Amino acid sequence: MRTEENHNTVEVAVYAEFRSDWTEALKFYEEAYHTLREIVGVTTRLPPIQRLVEIKSVSEQLHFKISTLLLHSGKVTEAVTWFRQHKNTYRRLVGAPEAILVHWEWMSRQYLVFGELLETSSKATQNFPPVILGSSSKPLSEWEYYPAYYYQLAAHYLSEKRSALELAISMSEIPNEVDIGADSVVPSAYVGQFARLLEEGDNVDMLPLTDEGYTHYAVAEGKRFRDSLEIIALLKKAYESYSGIKVQRMSSFCGFQMAKEYFAEGEIGNAKQIFDNIAILYRTEGWVTLLWDVLGYLRECSRRNGTVKDFVEYSLEMAALPISSDTGVQKDTGPAGPASILQREIVHKEVFELVGEASVLTKNEDSSNLKISADEFVQLEVDLVSPLRLVMFASVAFHEQTIKPGTSTSITISLLSHLPLTVEIDRLEIQFNQSSCNFIIANAQKQHYVEDGDTLKQRTETAPTLSLVSNKWLRLTYNIQSDQSGKLECLSVIAKIGSHLAICCRAESPASLDSLPLWTLEDCTQTVPIKDAVLVFSGLKSTQVEEPDPQVDLCLGASGPALIGEVFLVPVTLVSKGHAVYSGELKINLVDVKGGGLFSPRDSEPYSMESHHVQLLGISGPEGEDESQLDSDNIKKIQQSFGLISVPFIKNGDSWSCKLEIKWHRPKPIMLYVSLGYKPNGYEPNNAQMVHVHKNLQIEGKNAIVINHHYLMPFRRDPLLLTKNKEALESDQPEPLPSNQNTVLVVSAKNCTEVPLRLKSISIEEEDGVERTCSIQHGNEELSDPALLVPGEEFKKVFSVNSNINISKLILGTACLRWRRDLGVEEKSASTATLSSWVVTKQKLPDMNVELPPLIVSLECPPYAILGDPFTYNIRILNQTQLLQEIKYSLADAQSFVLCGYHNDTVYVLPKSEHIVSYKLVPLASGMQQVPRFSMTSVRYSAAYQPSNSSSTVFVFPSKPHFKTAASTIFRVEESVANE
Amino acid sequence: MIVCVAVVGHQNNPLYIQSFTEADDALKLHHIVHCSLDVVDERVNNPKKSGPMLNETFLGMLYPIENYKVYGYLTNTKVKFILVTTDLDVKDADVRNFFRRFHSAYVDAVSNPFHVPGKKITSRTFAERVSTIVKSFGFSSAA
Repeated sequence: MRTEENHNTVEVAVYAEFRSDWTEALKFYEEAYHTLREIVGVTTRLPPIQRLVEIKSVSEQLHFKISTLLLHSGKVTEAVTWFRQHKNTYRRLVGAPEAILVHWEWMSRQYLVFGELLETSSKATQNFPPVILGSSSKPLSEWEYYPAYYYQLAAHYLSEKRSALELAISMSEIPNEVDIGADSVVPSAYVGQFARLLEEGDNVDMLPLTDEGYTHYAVAEGKRFRDSLEIIALLKKAYESYSGIKVQRMSSFCGFQMAKEYFAEGEIGNAKQIFDNIAILYRTEGWVTLLWDVLGYLRECSRRNGTVKDFVEYSLEMAALPISSDTGVQKDTGPAGPASILQREIVHKEVFELVGEASVLTKNEDSSNLKISADEFVQLEVDLVSPLRLVMFASVAFHEQTIKPGTSTSITISLLSHLPLTVEIDRLEIQFNQSSCNFIIANAQKQHYVEDGDTLKQRTETAPTLSLVSNKWLRLTYNIQSDQSGKLECLSVIAKIGSHLAICCRAESPASLDSLPLWTLEDCTQTVPIKDAVLVFSGLKSTQVEEPDPQVDLCLGASGPALIGEVFLVPVTLVSKGHAVYSGELKINLVDVKGGGLFSPRDSEPYSMESHHVQLLGISGPEGEDESQLDSDNIKKIQQSFGLISVPFIKNGDSWSCKLEIKWHRPKPIMLYVSLGYKPNGYEPNNAQMVHVHKNLQIEGKNAIVINHHYLMPFRRDPLLLTKNKEALESDQPEPLPSNQNTVLVVSAKNCTEVPLRLKSISIEEEDGVERTCSIQHGNEELSDPALLVPGEEFKKVFSVNSNINISKLILGTACLRWRRDLGVEEKSASTATLSSWVVTKQKLPDMNVELPPLIVSLECPPYAILGDPFTYNIRILNQTQLLQEIKYSLADAQSFVLCGYHNDTVYVLPKSEHIVSYKLVPLASGMQQVPRFSMTSVRYSAAYQPSNSSSTVFVFPSKPHFKTAASTIFRVEESVANE
Repeated sequence: MIVCVAVVGHQNNPLYIQSFTEADDALKLHHIVHCSLDVVDERVNNPKKSGPMLNETFLGMLYPIENYKVYGYLTNTKVKFILVTTDLDVKDADVRNFFRRFHSAYVDAVSNPFHVPGKKITSRTFAERVSTIVKSFGFSSAA
């Protein structure tokens, strides 16, 4: 009756679903589902097993409908909760033990179907609903929202089903023969019901089935499928799904189960690949027991594949794992065996038996893939990240950080192994980057291995014993020496064990020793590779072999500071004292002492086109050696601050020299580095050692000559410059010059060095492209005999500048000096070539402003006066303007003179004319006397004028002097005067 | 019944793992403990999802797996405690209580001056205390 009722409910629900009335459909489906649960204990229509199967089938259908509807409407949480209820309800309904496999299969299917539904719905909706935790007494875990979780459990139940099936098959082996009825069992028209199909001619009849018959049918059906493939597929789904959301440990676990299935199926390749991946995670996280298990499988995989090297590697790693007796994993079903020290020793023995025996060895008779032929050789590489570092690792330390070539130092090789049993090493090969240093340590007890033909050349040491005890350092110290300079680094230590196994360990420095993985977590004391406490922290696997001491002298013979502008010569001399110099090279470097660099593109150089402050111009060979004579293959490379020149062969005892030509453009101290690299032996062209000699010298660059200049007006002639009065106080601008007047320019050159110089000429040159706006007159272009300028001395030359053009600015040009060092006593004997190499120093003369003075005052006074003899003192006031100028003037009295004329007056000077105020003076005293002081004021410009003291002095002779009329007394203004 | 307890260090490396079963499923329990670290990571890295449990050492049930329930606890020094039990109906209070006692046993063990932090816990006293706590787990709930 209840069944009928339920049937109706389902029909209503299906109809509602058909009408797309989801809520209604869901309601009725749920009702049907609940009704079904009530039927479970009530109905007795079918035999118990089939009854349960029927109920489960119906509930599965209803549950599928409900889950689909829930997920379809986005109620993921409800769906998950519903599934959990569904699962919990039926999990207990295992049924009869003989048909338990049906239950597991059904459970597996529930998980798979729900997982797939969840996956498709979450794909469709994309957005994951917020997880509500703790909503009920049994909160949902976030994992229940992952489809992978359901796939994983589906696989779990399927494997349960498989084991139940295997059990059932083994139990029903005898009735297998009477299993005639199974073929004819078919699903009936009703969900979850099965019937026996009876064919009698055309008559087809459905007969009810006994439980026994159904069980037979289920087992027979189960046999037809390969569950492991299904399990692998499910686990793969879970594995990939977990990997996709970066849940690596879960995915590793799924992968582990999957690989186990592959392994059981005999798909070794797949299994090994997955196991290898998983092992990486377990190694990094230090889960030794899990790693042990995985390695056990991997070892078995390589045994079946017959790959000896892999087998040896996995076995050794297993044997070296930090497994103590109390891991708790004593018995295990995996091929690794129980995780215990005993099992480690068994593995250890097995692998060393395999590689130790020269004869063919097989461990298991049935899987005899693993064999080593007599000439086969297994070499294991142990680098810094290899898991085999546990098996053996080598620390190498040189006792000294630098050694001289030819002298010997000690090297300590320390080996550590975590293998459970002592390993006897036959010989150790120590390899260096300089292969001549390689050597072999042979085990004295197994001497026969040393007698190999090719190793005879190598150095061989013999150690009394080379047994590597578990967890104990084997320390070996030997002398080592190298003749080759450079880095000497220990690369690897190869331990040969037996005739078929070599373990090549990358050498590690004790100072930078990475702790061993896995074992660091163990509670055991950490030991150090070297007993020497200093070397533990500073020992390195490499040492620096120094160069042999050079036996060549390198002399830089520069004296005193260099002068700017000149080509400064630095003689370089090589004197061989024990070594002959083959293929020598001289490197020259100029470096700024202050580190600022010799190159400054931003500095504008007014007088040099080069942007380098100091420049290496060239290298001249030794005397008598012309550059053209140099061999063509000789290198000669000169750059601004760098030079490279090859040195010819120098015999032992000989010497060779050259000169560096350096030019300074700015005062700057520089450091000159010269280094010579050469080979002491000519017969080893390629790998001969270069020997280097370095020398440096600091050289100061100094200004040789300081050029100054100043302007003078003609004597006793003063123009009124209006801007001068205005600006004199305000700014430090150079005073303007009066235009249309002759002006005297005095250029002086001062020797500011500590050596005497020779000066050849001073001239003023026109600048390129700029027209000079004045005429300059002077005496001889060159001095007939170059003037000697001792240190501190100043040389002056006078120029007459006349700017008669109506201009506002006076462009003078550049003062140009030609000079050189004084050669002293060699001055006369020096060749003309040396003498003609004059240094040119230039300095631009600043432009001068010019203006037309409105008034010019000239004092006219005889050059001398005679006591008591009257003379005329004229003051000329020249008005250069177009205007009438009112001038007020006064003349002060002077003690030494009697005068006649106006003391004060006001005069008007007509435009472009001259007014002369004249006085008659009688000198009353002799000697230098001050004439009466004249002062005047221009009313228009409100400018006062007073002549300077020097222009208003005159010398008074006591009586009339008698001069010889000679030309030498006549001074010309233009004449240049030395040593004023 | 508690079948396995574990202490897991910073690098997710096992510091102490002990199973309390007669059956030979120690390795399986190791796998379960190892997998549960994923859940711990998830909870720690996404604290939003586990909102009310912010700043709480007890992480609650990590995940249900067939026949087992896994609970987690995270100390302030980021050491994880994992508990695997076969009881299907466990009170949170019991688990909290267990973890509290377990934590104090752990603190005592690592306070030993001879213990090097970060290394495995090999103290026999600790093992004895843990087994006492584990045994009393069921009874304390009954009491």
